[in-house]
Amino acid sequence: MDVTLDPQARTFIEVSEVWVPRDGVLVHAQGNYGDREAFAAVSGRESFALGEGLPGRAWAEGKPVVLKEFDGSYFKRTEAAKEAGLTSAVAIPVFDGKTLKAVLVVLCSDDTERTGAIELWAETDGLMMLSDGYYGAAKHFEWVSQHTHFPRGQGLPGGVWSARTPILMRDLGSGYRFIRADSAGKAGLTTGLGLPVPSPVGETFVLTLLSARGTPLARRFEIWDSRAAKVGTTGGAVLIDGICARDGRLWDEDNPRTAKAWEGPIGTVLGSGLPLVMGGNPALTAGYASMVALPIHLDGEHAFTVAWYC
Amino acid sequence: MQKLVVIGAGMASGRALEHLFDTQPGEWDVTLFNAEPRGNYNRIMLSPVLSGEKSYAEIVTHDEDWYAAQGVHCRFGEKVVAIDRAAKTVTGENGTVAYDKLLIATGSNPFIIPLPGHQLPGVVAYRDLEDTNVMIEASAIPGAHAVVIGGGLLGLEAAAGLRLRGMEVTVLHIATHLMERQLDAAAGFLLQKDLERRGINCILQANTKQITGDGKVEAVELADGTVLPASLVVMAVGIRPNVQLAKEAGLAVGKAIHVDDQMVTSDADILAVGECVEHQGAIFGLVAPLYDQAKVVAATLRGEEATFVQKQLSTKLKVTGCDLFSAGDFAEGPNREDIVFRDPARGVYKRLVIEGEKLVGAVFYGDTADSNWFFGQIRDGADISANRDTLIFGPAFQGGAPVDPMAAVAALPPEAEICGCNGVCKGAIVDAIKGGAVDLGAVRATTKASASCGTCTGLVEQVLASTLGGAFERNAPQPMCKCTDLTHEDVRRLIKSQELKSMPAVWQAGAWKTPDGCHSCRPALNFYLLADWPLEYTDDLQSRFINERKHANIQKDGTFSVMPRMWGGITTPDELRAIADAADKFKVPTVKVTGGQRIDLLGVKGEDLPAIWADLNAAGMVSGHAYSKGLRTVKTCVGTDHCRFGTQDSTGLGIALEKALWGSWTPHKVKLAVSGCPRNCAEATCKDVGVICVDSGYQIGVAGAAGMDVKETERLADVKTEEEVLDYTMAFIQLYRENAKYLDRPYKWVAKVGLDWVKEQVLDAGIRAQLVERFQISQSVYQKDPWAEHVKERAEQYVPVADLTKFAAE
Amino acid sequence: MSDWIDIGPLDAIPPRGARKVETPLGCVAVFRTGDDRVFAVNNRCPHKGGPLNEGIVHGQSVTCPLHNWVFDLSTGLAQGADEGRIDTFPAKLEGGRVLLAASALRARPVAA
Repeated sequence: MDVTLDPQARTFIEVSEVWVPRDGVLVHAQGNYGDREAFAAVSGRESFALGEGLPGRAWAEGKPVVLKEFDGSYFKRTEAAKEAGLTSAVAIPVFDGKTLKAVLVVLCSDDTERTGAIELWAETDGLMMLSDGYYGAAKHFEWVSQHTHFPRGQGLPGGVWSARTPILMRDLGSGYRFIRADSAGKAGLTTGLGLPVPSPVGETFVLTLLSARGTPLARRFEIWDSRAAKVGTTGGAVLIDGICARDGRLWDEDNPRTAKAWEGPIGTVLGSGLPLVMGGNPALTAGYASMVALPIHLDGEHAFTVAWYC
Repeated sequence: MQKLVVIGAGMASGRALEHLFDTQPGEWDVTLFNAEPRGNYNRIMLSPVLSGEKSYAEIVTHDEDWYAAQGVHCRFGEKVVAIDRAAKTVTGENGTVAYDKLLIATGSNPFIIPLPGHQLPGVVAYRDLEDTNVMIEASAIPGAHAVVIGGGLLGLEAAAGLRLRGMEVTVLHIATHLMERQLDAAAGFLLQKDLERRGINCILQANTKQITGDGKVEAVELADGTVLPASLVVMAVGIRPNVQLAKEAGLAVGKAIHVDDQMVTSDADILAVGECVEHQGAIFGLVAPLYDQAKVVAATLRGEEATFVQKQLSTKLKVTGCDLFSAGDFAEGPNREDIVFRDPARGVYKRLVIEGEKLVGAVFYGDTADSNWFFGQIRDGADISANRDTLIFGPAFQGGAPVDPMAAVAALPPEAEICGCNGVCKGAIVDAIKGGAVDLGAVRATTKASASCGTCTGLVEQVLASTLGGAFERNAPQPMCKCTDLTHEDVRRLIKSQELKSMPAVWQAGAWKTPDGCHSCRPALNFYLLADWPLEYTDDLQSRFINERKHANIQKDGTFSVMPRMWGGITTPDELRAIADAADKFKVPTVKVTGGQRIDLLGVKGEDLPAIWADLNAAGMVSGHAYSKGLRTVKTCVGTDHCRFGTQDSTGLGIALEKALWGSWTPHKVKLAVSGCPRNCAEATCKDVGVICVDSGYQIGVAGAAGMDVKETERLADVKTEEEVLDYTMAFIQLYRENAKYLDRPYKWVAKVGLDWVKEQVLDAGIRAQLVERFQISQSVYQKDPWAEHVKERAEQYVPVADLTKFAAE
Repeated sequence: MSDWIDIGPLDAIPPRGARKVETPLGCVAVFRTGDDRVFAVNNRCPHKGGPLNEGIVHGQSVTCPLHNWVFDLSTGLAQGADEGRIDTFPAKLEGGRVLLAASALRARPVAA
């Protein structure tokens, strides 16, 4: 299976945190920092106004923001991050219509080995073009992505765009469109999670998280559907796709897994409509050290939740 | 231990063995032949493997290890050569094995249409992992094109998968809508839109002629001459039960291997299961009945009582983001009733088919919530008479209080958006109402709410009602027909603002309550669509009244009248002779000179129409459109050529007008006249457009009437030249075509919109030029002689499709 | 039943349209609905004898071209306020061909 991994491998994302608006500023809500206690402490005291720092920037721009270099940037916690070995970050705002619900920030640490990709695609002239992305050591793939575009329905970005639903692909490496496929194979990128990112500015964005064997972005992926058109008016969510390095396939056409609001981590996301970052309690996170769950609000409802575990 | 031999390791036999080993572990010595060099995988999940959304490993159900653990002797990759029923043995390529019981599960083969070129490399069926891998390989070539023949479940899944892999994909489908076995036309239309949104090109009613290529597939050619480049052709047109072995063994075989309710073939020791069986005349392609059969097979082998019963089936399409569901029987029938629910904003279509007190069928698109519940109601034959009014809303509404739409609107917060087109929220409408806009028109004027597509008109009215309470009197506008709540004007606005270019698109966007309209709305929609989108929309003859479909006026005895065009009322001796000859030849009982200066042949039999037209065509005459909602006649006086009072060449101008306007479709009939002087011999002052020649030029009058109402024309403009007369007239007709309600004559329409508005449009040189241009674009499509066209292309429609008088009488 | 007569391919009838068939009982109209089902009925409207094959087909009904009487093609019954009935004959679609039952066309219709 594509995401069968060496459990010792270092993960692509080192830190995840959630910021929520309160009294006009973004305040720290949750974080999973591992053993980076100093950075955790600094972050806990921080807050961001509209346009300020990375989370404030994502809020102001109404779209995900990628920051590959902290030095000399608007990043507010540069010193603490450097001490914690963190070098890059992506902030993903969660909007419900024009209302900001939260900002999810993930931080990565650059070295010459860790590959993976977090990409932001934006519609330009009827095509999905790369807006920005963080690729770790997958430099050639980065170059290729910058020079690739996806028409509607094609590839992971084009598929997510036209289907308006998150898509989990197992097979990025073979047959994936154009030279990108080839390069993805060489970079070891195998599994990809693509999700629509609703934006209050009316543009269409697709975020893709591409996972590599050696430095997985996650070992388990889940996509939950909570649209009324799928689950009815009674609420809850069904797992429409998922794969796990340990448990294999998580989907079952005839007996899909379900989640109820406020029951378990996914239920917490369904109930609150906010992202969730959890760590240090494997019993709650499918046996993995940490999990991140991200809600997607479309057309006035909490439509999907994507979750990744590692 | 009993010896069981199984031929075929597919989903049905895999499930049967599972049941057998669950209940009787170790009691059977099983040998399993499989032509494919592997165990069993979930074939219906191949589509997500094709698209890259699942891996093969995830869809394996029984691998070699599983069979080994159950003690099954696997002979994978080995074909069975023969069954010897007398000796009770099965012979494979590598030897013979004896059986006590034999289970045939040979499945089916894909049906390949024997088109020229079907054996070229690059033509694949879509059936197994090998096919899937060939398709994945073909998609790896940048910019490659694929053609999928067959717009059923499998074909569309293949198309979506190949598209996600990066191919340019075209689906060819022979029927008039996609997945016609599982979906009705409305849902098929939405599915097509959805696929087209993914960049998949769908061609319906496509007749494939041949597959071409030099040594490999290069293109697919259709009967209409279209050539589609393709490096991959996927045939997904159906399956054929694989019955060769059974036939050779002398088992009873019809469409497939006959089995009884216990899944036993005509030989008591041989059972069959899956896609290779025929049970009570039916064969099976979906997985649910196969699993039911597998259960029965296991029970029969155990010597237990079990009966296979065919059940209702449901369908879902495995294309991520396409939510559709269909179950049961949704054909219309006696005592059947439809409940149709459409939500244009969400792209939702739901249809329930009720027969008596039971739900018998359901088709959902865009919203499949509770589909299992509905399927249960169908399967169980539940009595739904108590809750039929709320049935379509699903289980959550059953037993609860009826929904009050007013309460829902009253409860909306002020910032809730009511009008999506113009972004008007409830608060803005409430403010406008409080500011004095107390009816729909005033709200429209002040806020623009419901002023574009009009689908929120009902909501705006509810806001009015909830804000004003009893003070609001709903000025209920007349809906177009019982199929919709929208007025003709609403529908015209909707067609333009949302660029709706097909009838199903209008039905969906206008929340039609019937599957395909009625005799009242269909002709109107057909006109609106062809008037607004002359290049994109195809005229639908089946939505026209008989006169326009047959291009002749039906008379009360079912015969027809035929009237050739006489430009400006001018004819020649040759034309008159041809008319007389035709009248003789076809025994026309009545020949009449009409009020429009034409000669009408009355009493022609329907089947003679193409022949009489051909004769008149041969004499140089074309259809006079005496039957159409379109330009009828331009009546003229003789003008300066002969008349001592004539001021201009009224005859020449009349002919020029008729040549410019003929063939155009209009909301109702349009009659013109040109009089050479104010004495008005051509009676131009009571026509839809009447031109009076004067010394200084031309007076153009419009909106006259001389039918049920009599009304003099109103002056549109005075102009100097013939060119101006033509331009003003074309602009006026086009304005009428674009804006009037179907079956409103120009005088009625002008009364509604006001002559001032009409003048503002037509007298503005810029607007006039655009109107003329749009009119001419339309004429480039529609100005053609329907007689010649019908004689050439549709003559067979005029005669009976069959004559059974002799055959049936015997 | 063994007496089905093949009258031609489904394609010979336009969707939401009809074709006539001459029979010993007179003219029969064979209809094709929008969802490709076929029906055969007496072609004469009981009201004023309008040719039903020329009517507009919607759902599984046809509207008479003369005076807009609407008939259910399956039962033959007039819909709405009008009262009347047209004879219906067995028809089916098999392998893309339209079949009529010969026996029904030989027998005299049940008096309406």
